Amino acid sequence: MYIAAKGGEEAIQQSEHLYHLLNGELTIDTVRMIEKSMPYLVDRVMGEGSLYSPELAALAIAQTGGDLYEAVLLLRAYRATQPRLAYAQPIEPGEVLTVRRISAAFKDIPGGQVLGPSLDYSHRLLKLDVLDGTREPQEAFQPAEQPAPPAYPPVAGWLREQGLLAEAKADATQAADIPDVTTENVLFPAPRPHRLQAMARADTGGVLSLGYSIMRGYGLIHPTVNELRLGHAEVTLTHPVTGEKFSAGRVRVSQCEVVSPGGDEKGYAIGFAATLGWNEVKLIAASTLDLDMASQDGDGAKHPAHEEEFVMYHTEPVESSGFCIHFKLPHYVTFASGLDNIRKVIQATYG
Amino acid sequence: MTALSSLTAPQQPYSYGYLDAHAKRELRRRMLKAIAVPGYQVPYASRELPIARGWGTGGLQVTLALVGPESIVKVIDQGADDSVNAANLRRFIARMSGAATTTDAVAATLLQSRHRIPEERMREGQVLILQVPDPEPLRAVQPDMSKSAQMHADADYGQMWLSLYEQLVRFKQYIQGASYPSLVNGRHIISPSPIPRWDTPKLHLASHLTILSAGREKRIYAVPPYTTVAPLEFSDVPFQVEDQSGRACRTTGVRNRFMNEIPQTDGTSQFELSDSGYAEKLANGIMPASTYYDENGEFYHAGILKPAVRPD
Repeated sequence: MYIAAKGGEEAIQQSEHLYHLLNGELTIDTVRMIEKSMPYLVDRVMGEGSLYSPELAALAIAQTGGDLYEAVLLLRAYRATQPRLAYAQPIEPGEVLTVRRISAAFKDIPGGQVLGPSLDYSHRLLKLDVLDGTREPQEAFQPAEQPAPPAYPPVAGWLREQGLLAEAKADATQAADIPDVTTENVLFPAPRPHRLQAMARADTGGVLSLGYSIMRGYGLIHPTVNELRLGHAEVTLTHPVTGEKFSAGRVRVSQCEVVSPGGDEKGYAIGFAATLGWNEVKLIAASTLDLDMASQDGDGAKHPAHEEEFVMYHTEPVESSGFCIHFKLPHYVTFASGLDNIRKVIQATYG
Repeated sequence: MTALSSLTAPQQPYSYGYLDAHAKRELRRRMLKAIAVPGYQVPYASRELPIARGWGTGGLQVTLALVGPESIVKVIDQGADDSVNAANLRRFIARMSGAATTTDAVAATLLQSRHRIPEERMREGQVLILQVPDPEPLRAVQPDMSKSAQMHADADYGQMWLSLYEQLVRFKQYIQGASYPSLVNGRHIISPSPIPRWDTPKLHLASHLTILSAGREKRIYAVPPYTTVAPLEFSDVPFQVEDQSGRACRTTGVRNRFMNEIPQTDGTSQFELSDSGYAEKLANGIMPASTYYDENGEFYHAGILKPAVRPD
């Protein structure tokens, strides 16, 4: 029974037990398999969970049977209690160990187009042979004739040199003083760090949906992908005693810049988004939203997807999914309250 | 040689009461501000908890920031202690704090609730923590929170009165159900949880402290003890609570309490007490404390609730 007279606690424990029973055994082998063979899924969960730990993300995916909203919540709830031990140095795009970096704005760009790993030009055919037990031939990867350099200059730098893009203002804020969306209340208009952090941990599907609405026609803009970049960034910390800078490891990061005509004094306006892990569709949509929110702050918004408050509230994965599923909870008291009114109105109006 | 491990405390996977000290400090400061400015929605960071958002995480954060080993905690959902979500939250609070739990509204020091205030009068020293899905009473007239915050700052409530007037024009009565907008301390309009209108007057000049917390929307507000709470009403069309007359609890026979309606296969309805802790006392022959409504349905503050008037 849904509202058990007694024994509600036993019922929910058995319900949870049954859920896990149907998903197969939770073992370290499953976790390792997910971590190794599904890095894009792991990346998505880490990005939305705003916690970089492939191992914990893989565990969260395994533990929830692949319910991604539940997996993200597990990471978020874990992360919320962890102390801040240190703040890393900012990641400079020109220093990221880049494995993929493309620009749609130019045929070729300084440093070159680097296709890197991508399914973009694959034929989307199911490899049905695999189901017959055929092993994929492991062809050796053909390296490029010339080894690619590890890092590349940002394309936006070239646009700035050409006077096509406004100069980026240097920000001297210390890392510990940067507004933090996870430990501060968020008010609007939000400080830019809050917006970028919110987009970094936003729901991939939610960001895509709102971003697509702009791309398709609501306040139409045609974003040109100035640069999309996937890479590995050093997490550079400062030793608390010696003051020496050292790398605590590397994280997979991705970032995207889109441009559109109509910047202020310069020719182009730029939209930016970045996240932990590699998630291209989310970043193209998020940087498009950033571009349009930047140009439409305040009362001039033409469409909800141009409003920072609308976008930030409605792309939050933990909050939107949690509220949606809360409608499963009993609401019979509030329903009775409304029912009382409806009956009185019907009685008074129709006898 | 002293082993290094002997000098350190064993590692605890979580802080006492789950939340870390920074989160608790923030919550306590926000609560103090909320008490200092009754009805004002204080923004807070709102940490993620191991409970889904929208399932009482706002109330839970307040409870976890207030709970101590000496606390006695009651958790209800729709008035019921044994609703699965209430049971789950109670289990979590007890597990993280070691606090005792109860179903007795009088014995509890902290009472976390979704959608109800108990029938027995709460007393001084008790804290009622209401879970709030939507803290913003102006949401229906202004969905943009930056703009509604400005309207609260200006006490710009004209649109609220207008929407009430429109209800009278269309339906000849107010049709707001639960979460009936109410003016606190003569200054701020609040959205009272969504408690039914039956419970709204219980906030008025109450002996206990009420803290309302929306985890997803990241707002805390409070009704301190002995603070006025006035449901919005025009002077000639008084506010009405849900009609409980003619309803008797099928188990205890008691009347003039908030009832759950239980539809029957023959098209009729039976009724039972919504407040399960109160029902438990009656069933076990335990004398309940004084209730907000007496046996004839009269509210304990005389003159607060007035007979219905239908406008022409």
